[in-house]
Amino acid sequence: MSHGVQGVSVLVLAGLLVAAAPVEGHHSVFGKFDVTRETTLEGVVTMVDWRSPHVHVFMNVRNGPRFDSWAVEIESPDILRRAGWSRDTLRPGDAIVVEGIAARNGSRQVWGDSIAMSATGRTVLNVDDFEPPAPLASRPAPEWPDGQPRLGPLPGGVDGYWAYPSATALVEDGVDVAMNAQGLLQNIDDAARVAPLQPWALALYRARQSRQLRDDPTFLNCKPTSGPRQFQQPQGVQLLEDRVRERIFVLVGSGNRNFHILFLDGREPVGQVGGDDDNPLYYGRSVGEWEGDTLVVETTSFNEDFWFTNGGLPHTDQLRLTQRFSRPDFDTLSYEVTVDDPGAYTRPWTSSWTLRWVAGQELPKHFCQENRP
Amino acid sequence: MRTLRFVSVLTAVCLIAAAPAAAQEGHPLKGTWLGTWGPSPEHLNDVFLILDWDGENITGTINPGIDNVEIRNATLDPEGWVVRFEARMTNAAGATLNYVVEGAIGNLAFHDRTITGTWSHESGSGPFEIQRQ
Repeated sequence: MSHGVQGVSVLVLAGLLVAAAPVEGHHSVFGKFDVTRETTLEGVVTMVDWRSPHVHVFMNVRNGPRFDSWAVEIESPDILRRAGWSRDTLRPGDAIVVEGIAARNGSRQVWGDSIAMSATGRTVLNVDDFEPPAPLASRPAPEWPDGQPRLGPLPGGVDGYWAYPSATALVEDGVDVAMNAQGLLQNIDDAARVAPLQPWALALYRARQSRQLRDDPTFLNCKPTSGPRQFQQPQGVQLLEDRVRERIFVLVGSGNRNFHILFLDGREPVGQVGGDDDNPLYYGRSVGEWEGDTLVVETTSFNEDFWFTNGGLPHTDQLRLTQRFSRPDFDTLSYEVTVDDPGAYTRPWTSSWTLRWVAGQELPKHFCQENRP
Repeated sequence: MRTLRFVSVLTAVCLIAAAPAAAQEGHPLKGTWLGTWGPSPEHLNDVFLILDWDGENITGTINPGIDNVEIRNATLDPEGWVVRFEARMTNAAGATLNYVVEGAIGNLAFHDRTITGTWSHESGSGPFEIQRQ
């Protein structure tokens, strides 16, 4: 096959993938790719499609006397950029080795876990290396003049946000179960240990897990990653404190770049009459107050139209969250959530994790609505 | 009577039109269901069912309106997602009939999931199929 024809083939394949996107939409990785089908590809880069929500690297792989075109899907540009990538890290003509997992439908697509340069063996992508090293020394948390910890960016234009959660799926504190970053259990029989689920909720959780989370409305319909899930997303969150108006804006880096308001002005957790007063919401209604150095936020009035966790733990509109935020040092946000949902769980339960401060940066620009595969 | 029929149809249309915005991911039974039941596959009547879950009990209403009927003793067995409920209705002759409906949820993962099964009472039985709106 001539290079010209190969090039056309690659472009046609790329075009077909892009054209198919509106039908397939943004997907959960493990809904599209099979973790049991580990695959290694060696070939030459033909094109890099640097777009949200997932970058695609197209490559030619020798198959006997001919070359096959493969699409390697990797993380989003914002996550890759944080890990030191740019759109020029790989260029057409680079010889690479890709390790990943193959598409469930048998097409020539893989999810790339690592990419190395064939010539040198140098790894240019490793999903395990996305998190930056921890700060060398602990610094005290910044404070407002009255001594209250600051949760958001510092005055004077220094940006920052919270990301790299120490846990990426909701599990009751004290429970140790193996799951991947998307909340997919390594062993489905651990499902009952994750949280005190009612029988129907456990069965539904198992069903969602058994389908590799492919029904996640966040991926299918760009539904918000609300509740505790917004604090376990790779794109992170930013907390903007408006002390004059006694509220904190929670800017969500993932999904639709939504925002949510935590009211600290002593109001009741009710909606606006004639507005959303009788309407359950994706983010619920949140009111909070400081208890010493800890911000305690109560949230109710959730609707049932989204998954409130990575991994698909169910919830109902009886969900009530008590969230506790504190900043033990400059680079750490401690987050604790108590889930009280008598519609889905047999008792209230608590989960906690930490997030890391990403200094000097605004939230990544990641839009679910770009709606590409 | 014509007005009542118009209002019923209008209500049904509004419920269906509102459905896409009411997609729900919580308890699998909660929501508005629309389908058919009757003495045979050839003779089916429309049926509306509004189901709810309060954390302990499944409650619901068949054909909401002036002749609505509350369901009773509703259960959901997650093993096979089997749904069962009862309802007490009065026929044209004034006799009370005790209905038992039993079916299984299909397409659990989708908001427009189904319940397919049978209904029966003291003197009859037939197919029952509804889809979540």
